[in-house]
Amino acid sequence: MSEHHKENFITKYVFSMDHKMIAKQFLLTGMFMAVVGMLMSAIFRVQLANPGESSILYNLLPSTWLNDAGGLNPDKYLALVTMHGTILVFWVLTAGLSGTFANFLIPLQIGARDMASGFLNMLSYWFFFIATVVLMSSLFVESGPASGGWTIYPPLSALPQAIPGSGTGMTLWLISITLFVVGSLLGGLNYIVTILNLRTIGMTMKRLPLTVWALLITAILGVLSFPVLLSCGLLLVFDRSFGTSFYLSDIIINGEVLHNEGGSPILFEHLFWFLGHPEVYIILLPALGIVSEVIAVNSRKPIFGYKAMVGALLLIAFLSFIVWGHHMFMTGMNPFLGSVFTFTTLLIAIPSAVKVFNYLATLWRGNIRFTPAMLFAIGTVSAFITGGLTGIILGDSALDINVHDTYFVVGHFHIVMGLSAIYGMFAGVYHWFPKMYGRMMNKHLGYIHFWGTFICAYGVFFPMHFLGLAGLPRRYYSNSAFPMFDGLSDINALITFFALAGAIVQAIFLFNFFYSIFKGTKASQNPWKSNTLEWTTPIERIHGNWPGELPVVKRWAYDYSKPGAEEDFIIQTEPLKDGEIEH
Amino acid sequence: MTNILIFIIVILVIATLVQIVRVGELLSEIKNKDVNEVSDKDNNTQGLLFLIVGFGFLIFVVWQMITWNHLLLPPASSVHGTQIDLLMKVSMGLIIVVFFITSPMLFYFAFKYRGKKSNNAYFLSHNNKLEVVWTVIPTIILTVLIIFGLKTWDNAMNVEVTESTKLIEVYAKQYNWTARYSGIDNKLGKANYKLVKGKNTLGVDMLDVNSADDKMAREVHLVVNEPVLLKFRSQDVIHSAFLPHFRVQMNCVPGISTQFGFTPNKTTAQMKESEGEDFEYVLLCNKICGASHFNMQMKFIVETQEEYDIWIASQDNLEKKLLTQK
Amino acid sequence: MDIALRNMVKKQLLWISLAAISMFFASMLSAFIVEKADVGNWKEFILPNYFVFSTGVIILSSLLLFFIKPQLKKEKSIFSLVFSVLILGIIFSYFQIKGWQQLTNQGIFLTGVGSNISGSFLYILTLTHLLHLVGGLVGLCISTIKSKQNLYSVNNYLGLELTAIYWHFLTVLWVILFAFLKFY
Repeated sequence: MSEHHKENFITKYVFSMDHKMIAKQFLLTGMFMAVVGMLMSAIFRVQLANPGESSILYNLLPSTWLNDAGGLNPDKYLALVTMHGTILVFWVLTAGLSGTFANFLIPLQIGARDMASGFLNMLSYWFFFIATVVLMSSLFVESGPASGGWTIYPPLSALPQAIPGSGTGMTLWLISITLFVVGSLLGGLNYIVTILNLRTIGMTMKRLPLTVWALLITAILGVLSFPVLLSCGLLLVFDRSFGTSFYLSDIIINGEVLHNEGGSPILFEHLFWFLGHPEVYIILLPALGIVSEVIAVNSRKPIFGYKAMVGALLLIAFLSFIVWGHHMFMTGMNPFLGSVFTFTTLLIAIPSAVKVFNYLATLWRGNIRFTPAMLFAIGTVSAFITGGLTGIILGDSALDINVHDTYFVVGHFHIVMGLSAIYGMFAGVYHWFPKMYGRMMNKHLGYIHFWGTFICAYGVFFPMHFLGLAGLPRRYYSNSAFPMFDGLSDINALITFFALAGAIVQAIFLFNFFYSIFKGTKASQNPWKSNTLEWTTPIERIHGNWPGELPVVKRWAYDYSKPGAEEDFIIQTEPLKDGEIEH
Repeated sequence: MTNILIFIIVILVIATLVQIVRVGELLSEIKNKDVNEVSDKDNNTQGLLFLIVGFGFLIFVVWQMITWNHLLLPPASSVHGTQIDLLMKVSMGLIIVVFFITSPMLFYFAFKYRGKKSNNAYFLSHNNKLEVVWTVIPTIILTVLIIFGLKTWDNAMNVEVTESTKLIEVYAKQYNWTARYSGIDNKLGKANYKLVKGKNTLGVDMLDVNSADDKMAREVHLVVNEPVLLKFRSQDVIHSAFLPHFRVQMNCVPGISTQFGFTPNKTTAQMKESEGEDFEYVLLCNKICGASHFNMQMKFIVETQEEYDIWIASQDNLEKKLLTQK
Repeated sequence: MDIALRNMVKKQLLWISLAAISMFFASMLSAFIVEKADVGNWKEFILPNYFVFSTGVIILSSLLLFFIKPQLKKEKSIFSLVFSVLILGIIFSYFQIKGWQQLTNQGIFLTGVGSNISGSFLYILTLTHLLHLVGGLVGLCISTIKSKQNLYSVNNYLGLELTAIYWHFLTVLWVILFAFLKFY
């Protein structure tokens, strides 16, 4: 686009239509929410280690959340768990991850001046921002924020009599998530159209970096699955506020007989998980895309099996639409249906295995340069292996009978989806920070951050598998009510120790991030010696990305250490030499 | 006051950190070195760290398996549960093997191929043969697992209900469980939420001929080796009946009736012998249902026929409980 | 971006949004199917006559839109054409509201003690369709004003084209909803 107006403060930093600025806005909002979500988890981990006791951390909470002895109220424990889940799943790992890197990388890596519609893009962020404000405001409601779990199953979420958080808090949750979905849809539309239409000359689909492929597939998943969350939420709104019976039937709550008849809470679960499962991959795929890029650049090798990687992404995305029932094996669904979902679910292990092996093959005989981004990328692969494998247990309906909704599940998804994605996000931030802010993040602090996080995260989430195999259900305020769990307090204390340590380690990252924005060493043009187009843009941010003509692409993104080349990288704009074959 | 103190300390710590990092960067500038450039030395340290911490993690995993093994659930106390345990052992064994092959590979590769300025990576973009191999092998393994899994699932879910299968209703509400025995006729009387009133906490329809001999109880007694079919209802929100020792779980959904049939094969007394005097079978709620979700429980007792007969005879039937005692 | 590319981008944006909207209605319809199969007290309803009329009206309005391009090619004014589509759209909305009135007279309610899930679905499906149609009406209003001012030519009528695509989509969506509610 040629008509770039002069920017003043407001249009440059606030209502910016420049994709790079919008990406930073998403990143900062996502980071803020990550801190909030992490503090929540620190608080409920303290409760789990010392049930009912008071703690200095509780000073962060409104006093109405505490009982007279200074301990946390059980329903507010559930509120914390619910908000932690909501914030991490939607705000941090969907908006914070996709929003940041889709906005930042798509135009830069495909060679476009900006997104297809800068205006829609700006709107997408501001919808997200208002959603954030609404969600945060629900923390200050007298009856507390939504407390029915992030999956908001009715009737619990529909009836304020069942839990206080299902009153105003839940209403705000629903408003907030609606705004969030609208924002995500606007973003997703834009990403898809941009990638399909605005690739520069020579940037064929076969030459796209895997980041862009992953972001494209993520956007398609989002556009097809988020509307289902809207319809699912709309019916819930009608049930909650206007007296319909879609999800409600035969209920007596607090002695009050409700008129609702005929509805089915299971219908809600079907609709919710039809979004909910693709959502898992909306979170994971961008991280895998980032990791593919970072691993290739820092191994100084082409990513192994580019076509298989794209194929695996497509297959995972397709399968993610037909596996939602594995969240519902215990709802009394038809056993045959359960078998079908077991079958489709376990199939996902195949493309996932292919991805892992391809990453390993990329590292094999590489010349690995351990930037902080590379450490986190390898961390992602490790978490993807560890967490992915336990998925084989949970996806099997027969085994799910005894581990469903236990800490085994908590351990599984925090590792495979939480850690993989957050490591991917860290990898992305460390890797593209020089492009975002023109400065480098401090390497040594990055190293400390990675090792601290890696050790603490496994210290938190791996022991959870054992809690689950001991039969401990998730979302328990305390496990002291059951003598059978008395032996687990040591494990709980260990987990809490690592959780708090891990939270402190993140302060190093925050410090490094903000320090480097202002004081970091100046970045060079192409600090990682990378092939992709974003490193051909000027270091100083300009609206429109390239000062002159758009670059013309002559080769794929992964010509690292190609025999016969002078250097161990060849930028995508470099023409093929005579007789040179494209990979 | 403490808050201000904490605030001041935090500010001081940040200021010190800024200075330290700044000095570090300035020093390397003096030495004419880019501080954030990854050197061969960095690659060596980080590669070595991957080897040490990575394998440390694997040792930590093994340590957990050994130290916490005794905390895990005892072998299943039900017929179908034994099969689930077998499937669990096989699947678990398999993923542990895969885990202990791929994870060390990852950490070892990171160490082994740590970079050196003078080295060059080996250009390898794809290898169809290899890729086919590592697509086909997981496919075969998974096919076996799927078939085994589906058989076990089928066995657990499609239990044959015969006349000797004892019918027991388990009724969930915030935050307790109530059981209803079907009585001599082994038929549960109809129930409707609209009839819940006073002592009739389950809303049993007393006009139904099958209701009179039903019995309500706050704990469930089962006869060892006798099949039982649990019928679940919920009064308010979704609960989930979870009996971890029997490998039984089923959601209790308002408006919908669900069920789970199984055969317990170890008495509570037997379990006390092997697991300690404190052992009890227990029913937990496993679906978030409100503030006291964590304390919603009911005792299950598995005993011999004789013990059971004595207990059941001591329970009033509904007719007596609801209609005669005012 | 040159104009051809920009037009294509805008059209694609619209098409992908239509895919998203379709998913919204598809999930609603599948919920309808599931509940109808499961629910014990499902109450059958008879669609009001007004919905039949409105079906005719919206199909007619969609057909009229096909004459825009030929008219523009002949460089004739399209004001009356666009304006009549707008009027038909308003009539459609009126008929929908009359239809709901007819439903309440039959004792079919959206919510409350006397309501049944079948009726609630009927109202919500038609209501959400009408909400989407309001967007179309706004587009038609703008197009009407612009066509009055003769701002469209055969090479430059993207806004109108987009409105027309959206309007056709609403027609098809309504016909599907109608057929579904009538015959399923």
